[in-house]
Amino acid sequence: MKRSGIYFWTGAALFLGAALLMTQVIGNQYPFFAGYVILQFIVLAVAWSILGGYAGYVNFGTAAFFGMGVYTAVFLFKAFGAPLPVQIAAAAAVGALMGFALGLLTLRMQGIFFSIATIAATIIIETAITNWRYVGGAAGIQLQRPAVTAPFDNYVEMLFFVQAMLVVLAVAVSRYIQRSWMGRGLQALKDDELAAECTGVPTLRLKLMACVISGALLCAAGAPAAMYLQYADPASAFNLNYSVSTLAMSLIGGTAHWAGPVIGAIVLGTTQQLLTVTISSEVNVLVLGVMLVLFVVAAPEGIIGLVRKIRRKRNEGEG
Amino acid sequence: MKRRTLLGGTFAVAMFGLASTALAQQPIKIGMSMAQTGGLAGGGKASLLGIEVWRDDVNARGGLLGRKVELVVYDDKSSASETPAIYSKLLDVDKVDILFAPYATVPTAPLMPLVKQRGMLLMGNFSFQVNSKVGHDMWFNNAPWGPADSWASSFLDLGQKAGGKSIALLAADQEFAQNLAKTAREVATKLGMQVVFDQAYPPSTVEFSGILRALKAAKPDIVYVASYPPDSAGILRAVNEIGIGDNVKLFGGGMVGLQFGTVMENLGSLLNGVVNYNTWLPEPNMYNEGTKAFFETYTKRAVEAKVDPLGYYLAPYGYASGQMIEQAIKAVGSLDQKALAKYLRENTHKTIVGPITFAADGEWKESGVVQAQFRGIKDKNIEQFRTPGRQVILFPAKLKSGDLITPFEAARK
Repeated sequence: MKRSGIYFWTGAALFLGAALLMTQVIGNQYPFFAGYVILQFIVLAVAWSILGGYAGYVNFGTAAFFGMGVYTAVFLFKAFGAPLPVQIAAAAAVGALMGFALGLLTLRMQGIFFSIATIAATIIIETAITNWRYVGGAAGIQLQRPAVTAPFDNYVEMLFFVQAMLVVLAVAVSRYIQRSWMGRGLQALKDDELAAECTGVPTLRLKLMACVISGALLCAAGAPAAMYLQYADPASAFNLNYSVSTLAMSLIGGTAHWAGPVIGAIVLGTTQQLLTVTISSEVNVLVLGVMLVLFVVAAPEGIIGLVRKIRRKRNEGEG
Repeated sequence: MKRRTLLGGTFAVAMFGLASTALAQQPIKIGMSMAQTGGLAGGGKASLLGIEVWRDDVNARGGLLGRKVELVVYDDKSSASETPAIYSKLLDVDKVDILFAPYATVPTAPLMPLVKQRGMLLMGNFSFQVNSKVGHDMWFNNAPWGPADSWASSFLDLGQKAGGKSIALLAADQEFAQNLAKTAREVATKLGMQVVFDQAYPPSTVEFSGILRALKAAKPDIVYVASYPPDSAGILRAVNEIGIGDNVKLFGGGMVGLQFGTVMENLGSLLNGVVNYNTWLPEPNMYNEGTKAFFETYTKRAVEAKVDPLGYYLAPYGYASGQMIEQAIKAVGSLDQKALAKYLRENTHKTIVGPITFAADGEWKESGVVQAQFRGIKDKNIEQFRTPGRQVILFPAKLKSGDLITPFEAARK
């Protein structure tokens, strides 16, 4: 294993260990409620970035995948009382299928047309769920959590740890893609799809794979939300806010490197949580808007791009 | 050096602040989230102002248990996904003493299991049947809904007395409207009415003339509409354009939005004839001890706070929540959640919206929802709604201020 690999996996193990330790030591529930939301956005941003960042296909349908994850969990829980790991695995499978369909149907559309098609998909799926009475329909559905599994003494702490594991999974997958032939292929088709195809890059296959992986992770991130809220309604589960926030997080962090969306999600997610409990009025929407504008103007390639630029300048200065 | 001085200064100020609050008597903290952005913000802000007026009144009277009352309020952005984290912060970090629920059903629903698990009392705020599945015995809704079907039954009862035999249902595909439509269907079956038209429409619908033509063709005697503010306006505009047919005796029922000052002002004369649910109205029988004084304060403060200038629908009930908790704390003499809940469950509470008694599920034992008919409304005038006789109460009998004018087409003139 290369040295960076050792660093990465040590970091991941430390992160999971810290998350587990938190659940055992901290008695206050709030860090887990707020932390869960931030972790959920890290998974969403990293997953989104696989298609949106590496391949340059801007997907506005994050809410569709997220909502399907929520409702897969709701359905399985209501019909079979399925445990949490089954809910997540099934949601990932559904997400992969959705990603495949999206890839086949809309990858022939590029740029803005692809983005519009993903918004349309969100609306269609939301309407379908709204009319499906078994999972609550428009009125929503209340769920009762089952008993919690050891070593956790509280369900939200367990969900927090599960979401932390999903973060590690998503980041590992994203990191692998970036560093493998897939990442290089996606990079090539992002720059010029026609040229990439001509030089022998299997663009359709790559795009399909990116769609499937991204979709599976997006859906999996949504599945625990059903148990987190113990309530699901289409308007909240398919809220366009998920699409917009995820996109903003990836862009603020920078999409060229796997760490970009992680940083973006931490920065923006934490800010959102803090604003909710501090300013807590219309002003917090304004603050987020201003943040986005500032980043687009000052750091068009995100925080990662900014760091690289500063480093390059320093190197030039030294040379 | 400068930076160190600054840090030291800040630290000292912070410490001084901490010490001085610790010396003073700790206030009683009431925590809640309230929609201040998003779709529910209009209602949320008016409701919060009602609660704030109560807080100022109770503090002017010397507070509760000799302590001041303080509100801790966060914005839930009208969303269900925000409230669990907010309420966990209220409980674990802010350590509030009493919890009030956010305005409306969707943000409240995810809280019910949480408060049940923590054994906390929760004063509900205009949500609809959120406790029916959870069964929390420390939940008390301030909204006058009462038993789930009382709402539809009062409207259909009026329709039946006016000679109605068939009914058309038109409901938005959203949580509240669908719940109303469901109970309306059940009540219609119970009363032996024939449902001749039953349609749900997507919440984003803006153009209703097609739907209304189909509804008109079904020739119903009663039209029960369960809609949200934007569609309520759209439906009334379409009715104005294409009419609804001479056989319709009663139109309205569950249209949300026709209770808000600005919506009423915009619709103006289009409202005439509509019979719709409401909570509090400026009709003679609706005044209780303190109601008039409350609205005097509210009307003044609503201008500064830029909220609903009338505030009839939600604000007095926010104030009533405060009054109920005030009476409970005074009677119990402590903040013990179980004792407070027991008191609230077993007694009748005097409030500015009338006496409130709770049933076992935490809803009002007897529905306080009124059905009122709009009469003689002119365009672009919000002040007209302050005078009695503009919204004539037809139901319930003890609050009645007039008789139904029917058919609907005649009442519209």
